[in-house]
Amino acid sequence: MVAAKKTKKTHESINNRLALVMKSGRYTLGYKTVLKSLRNSKDLEEMNLLLVFKSKTLIGEVRKLVIIANNCPPLRKSEIEYYAMLAKVGVHHYNGNNVDLGTACGKYFRVCCLSIIDPGDSDIIKSMPSDH
Amino acid sequence: MVKFLKPNKAVILLQGRFAGRKAVIVRSFDDGTRDRPYGHCLVSGISKYPAKVIKKDSAKKTAKNSRVKAFMKVVNYSHLMPTRYTLDVDLKDVVSPDSLVTKDKKVTAAKEIKKRFEERFKTGKNRWFFSKLRF
Repeated sequence: MVAAKKTKKTHESINNRLALVMKSGRYTLGYKTVLKSLRNSKDLEEMNLLLVFKSKTLIGEVRKLVIIANNCPPLRKSEIEYYAMLAKVGVHHYNGNNVDLGTACGKYFRVCCLSIIDPGDSDIIKSMPSDH
Repeated sequence: MVKFLKPNKAVILLQGRFAGRKAVIVRSFDDGTRDRPYGHCLVSGISKYPAKVIKKDSAKKTAKNSRVKAFMKVVNYSHLMPTRYTLDVDLKDVVSPDSLVTKDKKVTAAKEIKKRFEERFKTGKNRWFFSKLRF
């Protein structure tokens, strides 16, 4: 029972964090764009340079996250996980199907996988790796 | 977040005549060029894998079976499956975008790649790369 309660609480917090990312950060929805964002690192390097400029510190943390719905077909899921492993990007398996993930993003369509490029004000990337 | 589509990365081609073949990225054009406004790369791969070679074979048979046929191609990133393997064979001086323009340049470049791949195969390293992907 305690376990169930805990997942519900963290589940809500993931949703909240996702909503914040939708408002303030950069993200892409959908399988094709997720793979594209995993292959590409240009955006990231640009941003890293900008941030290094501003804060004058070296940023070495993971700055992207990929979220996969639980009813994603297993071949596609393992493909995204493999790409993320090569790119050293965290993967989070969302506790819900693509309909739920779409709702969590505030969209009226289904979202099977999404990639968070820039978390904005949210701390989703910092808190998620511990979950995964 | 690390860029992984770099030279010397082993990839598998997913589309086209060489679908299912393993290849090595020679040069990558992340932002594309004017002719190809998408991320693409120049790969050189194996079009005919070397056959199985066992110790009992005669020297002639070993020589015959170790032959590799190579190809070069410019491929869109979305038609590749990257792998965690790399193959550090120096192909940069041989393969370049303009060696794909004319047929004779292509043939000479392919012959050179073939030679280098065969050398590497004979040393027994990178065995994954020279084994056929079964599907």
